[in-house]
Amino acid sequence: MSAVAAPTGTWTSTAVTGDGTTLGSRSRRRWRSARWLVGGLAALLLAVLVLAVMRPPGSAIPYDPGNARPDGSRALAQVLERQGVRVEHVTRVADAARAAGAGTTLLVTPAPYLLPEQVTDIAAVEADLVLAGVDDGLLRATTADQVQRTPWIPGPVEPVDPGCDVPAAVAAGPSLLVPGLESVAPGLSTCWAGPEGSAVLAAVEQDGRSVVAVDDPAFLRNDDVLTEGNAALALHLLGGHDHLVWLVPDPADSTVARDRADDPDPATVLPTWFGAAFWWAVLVALVAAVWRGRRLGRLVAEQLPVVVPSAESARGRARLYRRARARGHAAAGLRAATAQAMAQRLGLARSAHPDAVVDAVVRATGRDPHEVAALIYGPPPADDAALSELARRLDTLESEVHRP
Amino acid sequence: MALSWRAVALAALGLVPVAIWPVPGTVLVWAVVVVAVCVLDVALAASPRQVTVQRTVPSSVRLGTPATSQLVLTNAARRRLRALVRDAWPPSLATALDDDGGLRPHTDPAQPARTARHTVDLPAGESARLRTPLLPTRRGERTAGPVTIRTLGPLRLAGRQASIDVGGRIRVLPEFASRRHLPSRLARLREMDGRASVQVRGEGTEFDSLREYVVGDDVRSIDWRATARGGDVVVRTWRPERDRRVVVVLDTGRTSAARIGTAFEGSVNTGGTRLEASVEAALLLGALADRAGDRFQVLAYDRRLRARVAGASGPRLLPAMAESLAAVEPALLETDWTGLVGQVRARVSQRALVVLLTSLDPAVVETGLLPVIDQLSGTHQVVVAAVSDAEVAAMRSGRESIEEVYDAAAAARGDLERSAVAAVLRQHGAEVFEALPDQLAPRLADTYLALKAAGRL
Repeated sequence: MSAVAAPTGTWTSTAVTGDGTTLGSRSRRRWRSARWLVGGLAALLLAVLVLAVMRPPGSAIPYDPGNARPDGSRALAQVLERQGVRVEHVTRVADAARAAGAGTTLLVTPAPYLLPEQVTDIAAVEADLVLAGVDDGLLRATTADQVQRTPWIPGPVEPVDPGCDVPAAVAAGPSLLVPGLESVAPGLSTCWAGPEGSAVLAAVEQDGRSVVAVDDPAFLRNDDVLTEGNAALALHLLGGHDHLVWLVPDPADSTVARDRADDPDPATVLPTWFGAAFWWAVLVALVAAVWRGRRLGRLVAEQLPVVVPSAESARGRARLYRRARARGHAAAGLRAATAQAMAQRLGLARSAHPDAVVDAVVRATGRDPHEVAALIYGPPPADDAALSELARRLDTLESEVHRP
Repeated sequence: MALSWRAVALAALGLVPVAIWPVPGTVLVWAVVVVAVCVLDVALAASPRQVTVQRTVPSSVRLGTPATSQLVLTNAARRRLRALVRDAWPPSLATALDDDGGLRPHTDPAQPARTARHTVDLPAGESARLRTPLLPTRRGERTAGPVTIRTLGPLRLAGRQASIDVGGRIRVLPEFASRRHLPSRLARLREMDGRASVQVRGEGTEFDSLREYVVGDDVRSIDWRATARGGDVVVRTWRPERDRRVVVVLDTGRTSAARIGTAFEGSVNTGGTRLEASVEAALLLGALADRAGDRFQVLAYDRRLRARVAGASGPRLLPAMAESLAAVEPALLETDWTGLVGQVRARVSQRALVVLLTSLDPAVVETGLLPVIDQLSGTHQVVVAAVSDAEVAAMRSGRESIEEVYDAAAAARGDLERSAVAAVLRQHGAEVFEALPDQLAPRLADTYLALKAAGRL
């Protein structure tokens, strides 16, 4: 008999030419499948273009000299420019440090995200500094720890007189600005004193340049610049030189002044062709992706039958035993299995009495009856080690029992 | 549109001029050169849709036996066809080549099946024959994938691609690896035929023939009447009864879906479920029973009839069984034992040997088989053959760590419960045995022979 018949018949397909599509039908199908994507992309592009065209001129960043909104500072910048001051708007600390040479004014608007290196850079410029609402670190670095911020203090309800001889403050007269500074060094000029030794403005002469700190930057803003003497204060502070560097730090900026940088500029180290070659390599990688990305025909699927991992119920039961520390149950299972195997080997019935089993085993092995009885019918083991030991001894006993 | 590695190499070559003259002009010129050359190559490539494809496959093949899918490609275009052709088949038929050139199943999904890819270079109007080796590793009906043709232009930089559905299906028949046990069992069957009459005479044997007495024959077997009629001393001979009915029922319910490993050493069968072992056992028993002159039929059942072979005998039996069992898969259903018994009773009215190929899961047997087994064992001789789990058997002997001891205890408990269930089934008059997958078929054959020798069919 030759078992299952060897492959008998063969089957031959009809001769097929082409997949039944034409250039036209393929293009139509591709267009149908891609039209929503293409349409969506086109709509997105259109929306971006429209938004770009419709976008109101000027910026929306607070204290930006080009921002005409209430929180911008265009009014001040325009007045300064009309007065012949060149206003240079920078957003990066490195640019500010480069532009702010001697004989210029550097205005720093609120900058909560400066890095320590950037703080050092700003403190090192030779220009006169006007700090509007900057944080404690920059304040201390630029005034050699003579001025610091106070905890929050409410603003005055009535205009306060300057009470100092700083020219800008004298020119400005009474003010409603919030006093947020205090001087730690004695003899420092502070103006518009508030409660608990606080002041609105602190002026320090240091290293041949003046540093003026105002904690409340409201005097720069379009909406507050006309309040009391704010305009006079701002124009006096910022119009001291005919070149004003206006730093509105970009939160993402991490630049430091070039001469301080430890790392040399990559552009000077790398050969000139590196950039072009790098981008060309990226292009080559794209071509390679297209090469690898096209499959030689679709994947062929195969229906797989359901398959259940075997022995999972036995393993689950073992885990239950272990978690419940059911050594008694586990030992009983092992003992019963050994007893059954030995009884079968010795020709005893399944229902044989324990004493009969012990007798038969003792006769077959010559062991002590008490020992055998304790092994097969003894008390449950006390711990895991005892259970392991019991399992081993049961194995030994079982191996000693041979068919009579 | 498809690119080849040469297009990538051409693009990579551009690094040299770009590095020497790092100006935008160089980049632009080289990019235009690459694109233009690729477009030209695509335009000059032969159309993959002007190739006539014809596929020839065997309609059925035994699991583990290599087969060939043959493609005839005819270049119907006027251009020379340089192409890469893929003859796609489902994963269980795909092959890979060993280091020494031998064929083995393709198992690494990260690699394409290289044996299914062919390079073709055909002048206009000519044909080529491509052979893709297949090695089936799972039973069942397999449908071929498309034939994909990627033509390349004269520079082989880029080309065009099309997938053509040609059709084609192969029925993968069961492996029948248990046939290696057949010769020894047939020898035992022949021994039973010629056995001395008195030893086997009785129920289940039938009168065979009269022959002349030879020295050594038992004097009790002398037929005195025939001796008186003729002149010579004549003895009667007996043989096992023939034309008994054997019904094999494969349980294809959820317990048959358990993966218990390959049924035979060295088998490429990736099914590895209980059902595989059952199919092997059914085929061996079928071959043996047919040779012994019994009428054999097989059913596969869970909640409905999945396959049935009846009425075939001789050389037609095994092909018929293989064909009908080829597509039987385990179903995630609880077997309807009442319906199964009803099927058997409806199909067999006379006494028969009913073999149930299932598992001895205590809960399943208690709720399913036990309540109805009396309906079968009353009229028929019932054999419950269960496939045991090699993994549980291995768990049984683990002593290395405390976890393994607990595993062993759980496995021992399971074994005890199964043997208790087996004892209950025996009380109901059934023959019960449990065997590892590779032992099931020979054990079932031995049980059959023992029952036949004892005249209990």
